[in-house]
Amino acid sequence: MVSATSTSSHAPTSLHRPYRRAVGYFWGLAAPTLCTLINWPLRGQISPANILMIYLLGVFFVAIRFGRGPSILASLQSAGTFAFFVAPPIFSFAVSDTEHLIGLAVMLIVAVVTSSLMDALRSQAAVAAQGEQRASTLYRLSKELAGTRQEADVIAAGIKHIYSEFGLPNTLLVPDGQARLHCPEGDLWPPGMPDLDLALAQQAFDQGQPQPPGGGTDTNSVGTSLYWPLVGSEGVLGVWVMALPAHRRLSPEERTLLDLFLHQIVQSLERVRAAEQARCTAIRIEAETLRNSLLSAISHDLRTPLSTIVGASGTLVEGDEHLDAEHRQKLIRAIHEDAKRMSDLTHKILDMARLEAGKVALNRQWYALEEIIGSALRRMRKQLENRPVTVDLDNGLTLVHVDAVLMQQVLVNLLENAVKYTPEASPIEITAELSPKLLTLSIADRGPGIPEKFRHQIFDKFFRVYPEAPQGGAGLGLAICRAIISAHGGDIRVEPRAGGGSVFRLELPLTETPPDIELENEALSRP
Amino acid sequence: MTETRPAILVIEDDPHLRMFLSTCLSGQDGWSVITAETGTEGLASARSAKPALVILDLGLPDMDGVEVVDRLRKRTGVPLIILSARNHENDITQALDAGADDYLTKPFSTAELVARIRALLRRASQRSWGPPRDVFQVGDLKVELTRRKVSLEDREIHLTPIEYRLLTALISHAGSVVTHRQLLNEVWGPGHTEHSHYVRIYMGQLRHKIEADPARPRYLLTEPGVGYRLCDDE
Repeated sequence: MVSATSTSSHAPTSLHRPYRRAVGYFWGLAAPTLCTLINWPLRGQISPANILMIYLLGVFFVAIRFGRGPSILASLQSAGTFAFFVAPPIFSFAVSDTEHLIGLAVMLIVAVVTSSLMDALRSQAAVAAQGEQRASTLYRLSKELAGTRQEADVIAAGIKHIYSEFGLPNTLLVPDGQARLHCPEGDLWPPGMPDLDLALAQQAFDQGQPQPPGGGTDTNSVGTSLYWPLVGSEGVLGVWVMALPAHRRLSPEERTLLDLFLHQIVQSLERVRAAEQARCTAIRIEAETLRNSLLSAISHDLRTPLSTIVGASGTLVEGDEHLDAEHRQKLIRAIHEDAKRMSDLTHKILDMARLEAGKVALNRQWYALEEIIGSALRRMRKQLENRPVTVDLDNGLTLVHVDAVLMQQVLVNLLENAVKYTPEASPIEITAELSPKLLTLSIADRGPGIPEKFRHQIFDKFFRVYPEAPQGGAGLGLAICRAIISAHGGDIRVEPRAGGGSVFRLELPLTETPPDIELENEALSRP
Repeated sequence: MTETRPAILVIEDDPHLRMFLSTCLSGQDGWSVITAETGTEGLASARSAKPALVILDLGLPDMDGVEVVDRLRKRTGVPLIILSARNHENDITQALDAGADDYLTKPFSTAELVARIRALLRRASQRSWGPPRDVFQVGDLKVELTRRKVSLEDREIHLTPIEYRLLTALISHAGSVVTHRQLLNEVWGPGHTEHSHYVRIYMGQLRHKIEADPARPRYLLTEPGVGYRLCDDE
């Protein structure tokens, strides 16, 4: 489906050449005749030597405009007309004055030299213009390719530019895992593409040679499709295919240009693939690091309580008769406490894994703020027994649209930390501030505070300010908080508290309007 | 019926947990314990042994826990406590809506389990033999059901009809969990089971009327994601 307009843009120079030559020879004859017409009225006043100068001018003009052949014709014609009309004896080709013979010889030399110079200049200009055009089309292609980040975009850009340059449907065949080529689908299959000879394409791919061998410049390949292997630094990347209609051949210049195009495409493909590979590697490394830190954290944090449980229970099983009641009680208590620690840890690890896997769809419902805080306080009631806890809610009945189970988890984790890391019996304050668009919940303690350099890091997985502290957990509690709060579109941070201690601040955007509900007003009527 | 020595049926596939449960519970309140390893076996035991209460693990090898609840409920109203290893509240809610009376997530403390069993057995015996309860009392809260009178430290409290219905619905399950759906059904009627925020809004109001500190309730306890529990024993 090649349009005539697209081929004509390359044919003009060859079509115009015979016509231009005819015009040149016409001027070769016409210019001296014109000079004769100008000279004729002046022939009495000016000496023949000066009239010869006018002929010289004519020859010079033809030499500049039309090249060697027409200028030689013009100089011979000038010589003839000069001898016949100007040089005495008039109306005879005989030239009596030898001076004029020298003039005619000079005129011939001027014609040859000038025209040669001009021819050289013109062909240089043509080469330069062609080079410039090629450079600009290549520039357009490489500019577009430079902006691509994905393989499909590189291929699409290649298809587009080759089509606009050659007017021929073309595409890239990419090999699968078994190095078999396949036709692309969708956008990468241009309209007007004929059926392909996949066997020939495969041959081009396997051998790394264009098929058919002529590459479209000879008559062998007329009316078929052309297959060019894209040879990259690590083998053949694919095969570029171009449909060639019956009346079309590629000129050597076009062939060179196409090679340059394909070279650009190969480079871009390799760049994009290398970037993709680097990205995959980076992700793999990150996952690896994460797994390693997870494993080391888990193995340390689970092994410690496990060794107590295994050791203490082993002692009870084997050496029961040697133990007095007090020691037995101690061992049993240790087993119980460490089992609880393990249970807590397992919960956190599983919660984190669930949140990380992105499997947690928030179950958002309308909850009264007070209820969420209340259920968290209730879950922590044993640990909070000796703590003064004050709760100051703007309006506890305010409805918030959250996943209550997860939000309660956030509060429990923060309260657990407060209990773990702040002095016994030091107060904890929970406050809520409501603005039309934002709920800010603060949990403030009077503990040692968090050093400034750790205030960001403490929300990272497995990070602990004092890794060897005896009360330490796995470093997951705050990471879980952050994951839950971000899932709600909010923000969590820690700030130093005036007068000592830390404030953990949660900000939750209030985007939804609470549902309306008809409230009854009448008091209960009793019988 | 074994009124003197109530039998508790434990349906649990893990041998250690089964052992632990039967050891702990046998020593309590003169209960006897029978065990079953699978859902099928458990359903058979429930039919033959006529237990006073069933403890059911939701993760059984042969049958979905909710299905066991379903099939059990088709034949008997025996009090039923479910154990779930998953802290996923959906499974729990499903089992409760299917007819289970209460739940515990693993790991749980023995004390908690015993308290739940006692609450259920007490209610069951009241239902079967006692006259209908006319006074409910816990801490400072007193509800005289026949007179529809609610008082706190002998001070009368005025509740709206919905608030009162909500409170009595909880009293009829006192000590056990009641799901949002069950409360909607009992208070607002079957048409409203999707409006779970109704329950939460009225519960908030009720708390403001009968709790000293609504942010730290003593009586009306929240089971996050599942429902509510009225504390019946401080």
